[in-house]
Amino acid sequence: MSALMPALPLLILVVGALAMMLVDAFVEEKAELALMSFWIFVVAGGASVGLWVTEQVIEVPEVMSLYLATDRMSLFFDIVICGGGAFSALLAGGYLKEHALERGEFYVLLVFTAFGAIILARSVDLLSLFIGLETMSLGAYAMAGFRRTSARSTEAALKYFLLGSFAAALLLFGSALIYGATGSTNLAAIGTAISSGEAQLHLAIMGMMLMIVGLAFKVSAVPFHMWTPDTYEGAITPATTFMSVGVKAAGFAILVRVLLVSFGDDLSANAETGWPPVIAGLAAITMIYGNFAAVGQSSVKRMLAYSSIAHAGYILVGVAAAFRAGEEAVSAVLYYLMAYTVSNALAFGSLIYMGSRGKEAVSFEDLAGVGRRHPAAAIPFVLGVLSLLGFPPTAGFFGKYYIFNAAVQAGGGFVWLAVLGVLTSAVGAYYYLRVIVYLYMKQPQAGAPVAVPMKSGYVVVALILSSYFVLRMGMAPGTYLDMAIAAAAELVA
Amino acid sequence: MNAHLLTLLITLPILAAFIVAFIPRQATGTLRTTAVVFMLVELFVSYSLLDGDYTTASYQFLEQHEWIPVLGISYKVGIDGISLWLVLLTTLLTPIALYASWLSVDTKIKEFAVAFLMLEAAMIGAFVALDLFLFYIFWELMLVPMYLIVGIWGGPERVYAAVKFFLFTLVGSLLMLIALLYVVGLYEDLTGVYSFDLEELSRVVIPYGTQIWLFGAFALAFAIKVPMFPFHTWLPDAHTQAPTGGSVILAAVMLKLGTYGFIRFAMPLFPLAAHYLGPTIAVIAVIGIIYGAYCAWVQKDVKKLVAYSSVSHLGFVMLGIFSMNIGGVEGAILQMVNHGISTGALFILVGVIYERRHTRDLDEFGGLAKVMPVYATLFVIVTMSSVGLPGTNGFIGEFMILAGTFASEALQPWPQIFVFFAATGVILAAIYMLHAVLKLFWGPLSNPKNENLEDIGTREIIAVAPLIVLVFWIGFFPGPFLEKMTPSVSNFITSFQQKLMIENQDDTARLLPGSGGSPSAVAAATARVVVPVAGDQGGEG
Repeated sequence: MSALMPALPLLILVVGALAMMLVDAFVEEKAELALMSFWIFVVAGGASVGLWVTEQVIEVPEVMSLYLATDRMSLFFDIVICGGGAFSALLAGGYLKEHALERGEFYVLLVFTAFGAIILARSVDLLSLFIGLETMSLGAYAMAGFRRTSARSTEAALKYFLLGSFAAALLLFGSALIYGATGSTNLAAIGTAISSGEAQLHLAIMGMMLMIVGLAFKVSAVPFHMWTPDTYEGAITPATTFMSVGVKAAGFAILVRVLLVSFGDDLSANAETGWPPVIAGLAAITMIYGNFAAVGQSSVKRMLAYSSIAHAGYILVGVAAAFRAGEEAVSAVLYYLMAYTVSNALAFGSLIYMGSRGKEAVSFEDLAGVGRRHPAAAIPFVLGVLSLLGFPPTAGFFGKYYIFNAAVQAGGGFVWLAVLGVLTSAVGAYYYLRVIVYLYMKQPQAGAPVAVPMKSGYVVVALILSSYFVLRMGMAPGTYLDMAIAAAAELVA
Repeated sequence: MNAHLLTLLITLPILAAFIVAFIPRQATGTLRTTAVVFMLVELFVSYSLLDGDYTTASYQFLEQHEWIPVLGISYKVGIDGISLWLVLLTTLLTPIALYASWLSVDTKIKEFAVAFLMLEAAMIGAFVALDLFLFYIFWELMLVPMYLIVGIWGGPERVYAAVKFFLFTLVGSLLMLIALLYVVGLYEDLTGVYSFDLEELSRVVIPYGTQIWLFGAFALAFAIKVPMFPFHTWLPDAHTQAPTGGSVILAAVMLKLGTYGFIRFAMPLFPLAAHYLGPTIAVIAVIGIIYGAYCAWVQKDVKKLVAYSSVSHLGFVMLGIFSMNIGGVEGAILQMVNHGISTGALFILVGVIYERRHTRDLDEFGGLAKVMPVYATLFVIVTMSSVGLPGTNGFIGEFMILAGTFASEALQPWPQIFVFFAATGVILAAIYMLHAVLKLFWGPLSNPKNENLEDIGTREIIAVAPLIVLVFWIGFFPGPFLEKMTPSVSNFITSFQQKLMIENQDDTARLLPGSGGSPSAVAAATARVVVPVAGDQGGEG
């Protein structure tokens, strides 16, 4: 039993999800599945924290350690993904009930998706990587199309599915090439093969590029982002929340792992050749495109979708800098993902909170004047967008600061990447401020329907929790920073 | 008590904001009074800052705690003869501005009070922070309340003005953040540990080629805030749209953070770049003086006129700073305070007629002296201060700056040319201000709408009176004010010159020895590279 300890969070999730299916089927009263899934996430995340704190060295059977990592970084991502799942569960608890979509499958799907995400984040083998990716993606496709009667939702799911499958195919192709070049599917063994010169380098590089493309789809980096705005907008908001935090976090986790573990050698990772310039280029166009495209949006949800693309760009800056600023850059990426999870949960949660039955708040116009009529509902939204904008003293500010710090410390052309990053964040300020403008400085058009915040304890709890973390991680980031550094140190060492 | 005085000054307004937030919305009277009373308490507390020992250049009321030790970020606050006056200016003007606002702001009283209190805390924090990370946080934190004050309680174009203000400032400060990270990175390369401590970072010798970029980023952030020509375009918009209290704080205090940033951060960190770019900046400052004055001359909107006059006046301040001698820099610091006082008073007074007529168009007025004699008198007094009439505070500041520039070695070979053009600005100031006074108060009472205007009320006089007292106080007795800043200013100049000398000799990246960045430590470093220490830097002002 103790040998399975490192996989405890995964077991909790999968057992919990199965239990929920039974509860959903046999309990008449539509038991509080939101609450149940929330607790499943909390317990699973808590188990990871427990594993982190106890620091036990457990003999892990080879059958597991060959496929799943049990290092600090995986525990870190367990916590981030479970956190994102917990927020999404709470938000769904309010949203689904309010908009008459209350069906138990959502929560089961959510837990399974998170399970897949954790497998993906933990995988140290191309096989488990693919299994994790598909488990996660299938759940996410289904969640995106959860509102079956809506054409937008179906379109969202279909687009996500088609492009996602395409990306998965590229990734699989890349894996095949890498296997062919190195004779191994284990990430560390691939790394050894490449650095020892046994591998066929041109094939391996080709495979690496294909894998980068496949993963860039998942993290919605430009130019592989096309599905993101439509899917994020069309999907029900709690699903969007999880896609933008949990799925993205898992994508970045495996991207960092593959690049540093398998392709961390001097040839594949230096400023001129290999992946760093590729990732840096992706980061640059992602930051530019994401921010500028978000400016013109009239729908807040779509704006947040583009903002999520822009944030992928910032995180990629950290990934690109990782080849030189090592531990610092990786810990910056980890910290940013955590900060982004709570900030985005807060922003999407606030958006959910603004809409009541039959009147979902989607566009900027819907927000007009809410700050005057319902001050308590507007404040979390302001906090959320300020954090996404990267304004002190919020989590987003510290995350951004730390990412750009990593880029500046990496030196060379990365300083310019950081400069580009801050300039595009200034563009970002424009559309994030529009939220505040509409909340406080505009009044709804005469005759336009007036947004009334919903009444849901779940959403309120989610907003309070995420507000707390946004402020906590901004003002006293010490604990979280230490965690990120410890997790990164193990990977880079 | 004394050990935590600065922390108390930062936290008191925040605490007050929380208390105000829990007062019921309907109790408007209580809300208004509570906020002002808290600010007066703050003013009273800040008065004990004068008890510090300003005969030395070292920081007073120093307080330091670790904050994020992994990254060398600490909570470090302290005050010297330079920031002392700016903090006092802040604590004096914030209650006045809020009190004056209560005459006009009547919607969402609670939010307005909270925004003002948070703004006060952030401004004080920015003036006393000695850790650059902390400074950056306060610097950014100021933006949000001011953005809301302009955007919610402002005029018809308020959203545009607020967003423009926010974006301009943000772009500058973000680039400053990158430059800051770069400096910290250099420090880390040299020592192996991170630090954001200003005194520690000042020890880094940065190669000229790098320094010029870093200085550029810092200078851009501060120049936007000052605002220096050509980055001033946000200012007229923000000023005209902001409510009276917002304009007062914006002009009187927030702009000073830009000039203060040059003295406290940009120049000590990058002396070599500051030295070589100094004359260029001085030229831009002089252009700003004249350009601002000309723009002010042609304005029909009184508030816009005052806004452009700020561009002109702050050009003087920048010129004084870059003259790099005691007279010029002291004049610049005094002029920061003076500008706060006179422009603050002007904005309050302009607010008075705007309240009565809901227009600020000069053509709408004329002959007001007949119906509003007291108001006219006060306005003229403040105008004289703004113009720099001898006997008022403006005269002392401008005279010191011009005298300092005249004797400046930093602006060689012809500092006189700077003085010549800057002095034109003084004349232009007289022209545009007296032009406004003429249009407002003299001539026939041609517009019938003005015939029944009430004279200035007691409450408005209460708001302006302390400022008028200060106009004459500083005008007649500038000694005590200058006395307290002299040691800090001379230390600023000598450390600057010494570090400049070292960097001129050899600017390879390295760390100067010495702890605490005291002048003697830097002097020791100078001695070590066997360079004669610079002699007397410039004359008296």
